[in-house]
Amino acid sequence: METSLPWIILLSPLASAVLILLFAHRSKPLSVLLSLTAVFAAFGSTLLLFSSHSVVQTSATWIDLGPALHLTIGLKIDALTRVMLLVVTGIGALVHVYSTVYMAEDDGKARFFGSLSLFMFSMLGIVLADNLAMMFIFWELVGVSSFLLIGHWFTKPSAAKAANKAFLANRVGDFGFMSGILLVWAATGSVEFAGIQENLAKLTVNPSLLTLAGLCLFCGAVGKSAQVPLHVWLPDAMEGPTPVSALIHAATMVAAGVYMLARIFFILEPSPVALGVIAAVGAVTAVLAALMATQQDDIKRILAYSTLSQLGLMVAGIGVGAWGASMFHLFTHAFFKALLFLGSGAVIHALHHEQNIWKMGGLRRTMPKTFITFVIGTLALTGTPGLAGFFSKDAILLAAWHKSAFIFGAALFTSLLTAYYMTRLVVVAFFGEAWTPNAKHGHDCPPAMTVPLMILAVLSVISGYKFFAGSIFGEELFHSVHAAEHVSLVPILAVSVFSIGTAGAWFLYNGRSKDPVKIPLFRNKFYIDELYASLIAGTQDLLASFSSWFDHFILDGVIVRGISGLTWGVGYTLRLLQFSNLQGYAFLFGTGVVILFYMLIK
Amino acid sequence: MFPPITLEILVLALGFILLLAESFSQSTSKRSLAKSAVFCLAWIFALSFFVTSAPANPEPGSFWNFYSADPVSMVFKRIALLTTMAVLVMALEYEKVLAKNIPSAREGAGTGEFFILPLFTCSGLMLLASAVDLVMAFAALELVTISFYVMVAYMRGSHASLEAGVKYLILGALSTGFFVYGITWIFGLTGETHFTKIALKLASLQGSDTAILFALVLVLVGLGFKVAAVPFQSWVPDVYQGAPTPVTAFLSVGSKAAGFLLLLRVLEPFLGVASIAHKILLVLSVLAGATLIFGNLAALPQNNLKRLLAYSSVGHAGYLLMAVACVGVAPSALGSVGATVGFYLFAYLLMTLLSFLVLTIATQHTKGEEIQHFNGLSKRSPFLAFALLVAMSSLAGVPLTAGFYGKFLVFAQAVNASQWTLIALGTVTVGAGFYFYLRVVAAMYWAEPADASPIQVSGLSKMIIVLLVAGIFVFGVNPKPVLSAFQTQQTPLASAH
Amino acid sequence: MFLLCFMKSDYLPILLQVLVAIGFACSALLVSLLLGKATRRNATKDTAYECGMIADEGPQPRFSVKFYLVAMLFILFDLEIVFMYPWAVIYKDAILEYGASIFWSMFSFVGILTLGYVYAVKKGALDWKS
Repeated sequence: METSLPWIILLSPLASAVLILLFAHRSKPLSVLLSLTAVFAAFGSTLLLFSSHSVVQTSATWIDLGPALHLTIGLKIDALTRVMLLVVTGIGALVHVYSTVYMAEDDGKARFFGSLSLFMFSMLGIVLADNLAMMFIFWELVGVSSFLLIGHWFTKPSAAKAANKAFLANRVGDFGFMSGILLVWAATGSVEFAGIQENLAKLTVNPSLLTLAGLCLFCGAVGKSAQVPLHVWLPDAMEGPTPVSALIHAATMVAAGVYMLARIFFILEPSPVALGVIAAVGAVTAVLAALMATQQDDIKRILAYSTLSQLGLMVAGIGVGAWGASMFHLFTHAFFKALLFLGSGAVIHALHHEQNIWKMGGLRRTMPKTFITFVIGTLALTGTPGLAGFFSKDAILLAAWHKSAFIFGAALFTSLLTAYYMTRLVVVAFFGEAWTPNAKHGHDCPPAMTVPLMILAVLSVISGYKFFAGSIFGEELFHSVHAAEHVSLVPILAVSVFSIGTAGAWFLYNGRSKDPVKIPLFRNKFYIDELYASLIAGTQDLLASFSSWFDHFILDGVIVRGISGLTWGVGYTLRLLQFSNLQGYAFLFGTGVVILFYMLIK
Repeated sequence: MFPPITLEILVLALGFILLLAESFSQSTSKRSLAKSAVFCLAWIFALSFFVTSAPANPEPGSFWNFYSADPVSMVFKRIALLTTMAVLVMALEYEKVLAKNIPSAREGAGTGEFFILPLFTCSGLMLLASAVDLVMAFAALELVTISFYVMVAYMRGSHASLEAGVKYLILGALSTGFFVYGITWIFGLTGETHFTKIALKLASLQGSDTAILFALVLVLVGLGFKVAAVPFQSWVPDVYQGAPTPVTAFLSVGSKAAGFLLLLRVLEPFLGVASIAHKILLVLSVLAGATLIFGNLAALPQNNLKRLLAYSSVGHAGYLLMAVACVGVAPSALGSVGATVGFYLFAYLLMTLLSFLVLTIATQHTKGEEIQHFNGLSKRSPFLAFALLVAMSSLAGVPLTAGFYGKFLVFAQAVNASQWTLIALGTVTVGAGFYFYLRVVAAMYWAEPADASPIQVSGLSKMIIVLLVAGIFVFGVNPKPVLSAFQTQQTPLASAH
Repeated sequence: MFLLCFMKSDYLPILLQVLVAIGFACSALLVSLLLGKATRRNATKDTAYECGMIADEGPQPRFSVKFYLVAMLFILFDLEIVFMYPWAVIYKDAILEYGASIFWSMFSFVGILTLGYVYAVKKGALDWKS
């Protein structure tokens, strides 16, 4: 039973994806049913897994090339995996239920659920993998399914473009990830986590190689978890349907990078340089993304930048060595961020696909259920004492306090900004008056959408407490969450920046119908997209003119034409040997015999 | 449980019974012949799992001195049975074309033997798989070849088929002559015809190597013809194009497999002679290189799909020879050369049968075998187009297909043996292969059909196509079952070193 | 070098004879070319004159294809006898010891040929009229 559960978890979404995409895509209800069955089967099996806290490992040989390369399809269940499994299948199940209503009118509903199942399969594959090679394969599969889901409305040019952007940005990171895997494999001779850990000494003897391998692996996380400088794809990915944004681009997939870093932390740990770089990248991402979030008008984009910033915080947490704290924040963040996204989805759904917060307003009266849950999510995210976000953010802040003043400062500043922009969002969208006629007709959505919101709201409150998180993390892992020594100054500082941020935004935005603050630098995302565009365009122009010349004269002229001409020429000449004349053939045959005799007996 | 020779006897008996039944029956439809043959072969295939194994040390004078039934030869027997079944299904699809090209008073008269002759070829292939004696091997090989002579020239109303038949007969007889001459030399040198005993005698032979080399050349010429190695390939394009399509498929699979099996068996004693081993490998490498270049490059300008497949068959012989040319080294991590050749032949069988089956079905509606006749096949029959896409991808060596893994194994052997020149040639020719195989795919998917009427596929053929496609993918992703089937016992070559 | 090698082994006469043969052939061709003016030809020259009759059909008469068929069948069944003679001679001494297996071996061979014969008869291969 113990060994078959992981396979059920992994394979039921695959079965559903295959069935939907191959056979059931003509029937919407059947697709939905299949997809829901699969995700609840996975969720149920996950819950069963919690009945024991032992480490389960099951594997089957995949490719056996002798001692040089022995790849297995192996699943590993330990405390870390259990946490991720619960997050992925739990939020996945809620999002599935929510989507049945959200996507009700969509023509591509069957395709949507098929892709969603495919995503569940790939994501669970990452979580369950017991070796880097398998993880990489699922990593790529996640990329593909994310591409499919962002581009779900592929007839919209912006969605198609966003899907491409996400895919390409991820490819850049994945290239580094693959190089990292190859480096680790070359050094330790194994791609399995257990095998690497056994042979880690072979890697640590060469610190520069170790650092290089660690940084290469980190590249994968930079791509998938959208860290600076590859963060540009995540805000654009909001072109996908909102449930997708909640599941993939807030709660699970983007967290895969953090999960991966936690998984391979034992490789990173011996290299202070790699950890330093990781902490710095995380901190920079956290601050930059938070600054960008303060000036966005699109409700989903604000949440997207907020996700970026929180992911930066988690990565920074890994960088300061507190991978337990980062996983804890990942865990709590998954609930309230999914809640916020699904809440925003409810608003968007109710307002007929209106996403600009300045065209909302006063929704607290027309959509009370959505309002209450959304506020709970916001409070959890901003770190209100007593809610989930407070505990997990506190754990990271504590670890940073002991390690580096710079990281701590950045994290604190991020908290301030988080409180500020989230309050701004809530105040503008839900308080005040309805700024447009459209906003007056807001209404709460059907129960299939609001019930997931309520469940998530409850979880956003309780998931930080020890009685809940502790039982899920398990004794040992939960202990590592709070490894850092407690300093009472840290929570005091955290609460004070939260109060400043919230109060500031409240006074600035309450009752306003237009944004009183205008900072073009933040609004335009530090011009990073433009910078990339011009950088790429400039280099491209230069490269293009050169490569056009090269292509025209060297490649096309000399090499391609030359080689293809040569091969064709040879082909034509050889064909002339087939002149369809029996005597001639016999003659050729005889010549062959003579040549053979000459070669062997001379 | 019964002795393994029963299988061959059953196949032969089936052939005789059907032959007589055909001559006594008054019915004009011969389809039931082929169907009952397929049915009986399936039974014989099932029976092949219940045979006794060969004794370890056969008594002198007993039948086991000519015939062995180790697991590898049982695998080859089963493959021969399955191939014959696929060819018979193909022949059923081809019946109309056949009847058109056989002038006779009554419609369908004279087509019956076409469904029966493959059975004799099959029994020859099965005997060959078990032959451990040159005389036995030769007799089996001739049983295969002679039934092919008849089948190639079967459509006596078609000039191409008759021409192919004559060419194949004359050149085949020529090569057989060389082969027999080689056997007599070997017998003259050693006084033995059993492979193991020949190996023992050759290794301890005193005196000049010239006589041994002479025997080797003669045998190589004979087998080079069978496997279509350059410069003995000249018959291939004309014969493949002219012969009835099911026969072409059988020829390219059966004749090639038989040739390579025998080549590996015959080479073993010669490689045991230390002083000439390097010369043998050199000659094999030269043959492999020439075959690679000819097969793949001459295929580039071809516009006829059947002829293209003929050249491709030569090209694949090149890759197989490339693996054979690596026999000098110890078995690598991927297993022996014998297993590599076995797997490659198996993969080649899947994709060749698939392409010819699709070709047979499609050409009845396309009115031609030129590549342009396949324009827009994807619109007429997505099923057939997809099957041909899979076959072509596998032939070209696209990853996750059986063809890719076969090539991968061959290249791995070459790397293991440091055959850098062959690797370079192989890489170039794989590139050329991609070009001409994917041209077919491009025509099917991107060109507009001249006639858009849909093509129907019969149930039996559909089943076989699905099985072949599945096989290509399954064994491309998980090649282990096939590889281990060829590795269960030390193959003759591996045990020599 | 080459010639010396031959001289040593007294092959000189043979070499001389080969040379004479080649020389004669060449000179005969050359002479006939020079004297006969073979290149100058006309219709009258090409007619049969005093040395034959004008042919009114091809050099080989046409045979019915049935002759070939019968000839081939004859060869097939004739081979049977060719095989049976040595069989009888060789196993003359061993017949008491291995009698049964020797008999069945030949029996199966003849049996297969008999099947072939039945097949040929049923297919009308020996039917001269049709």
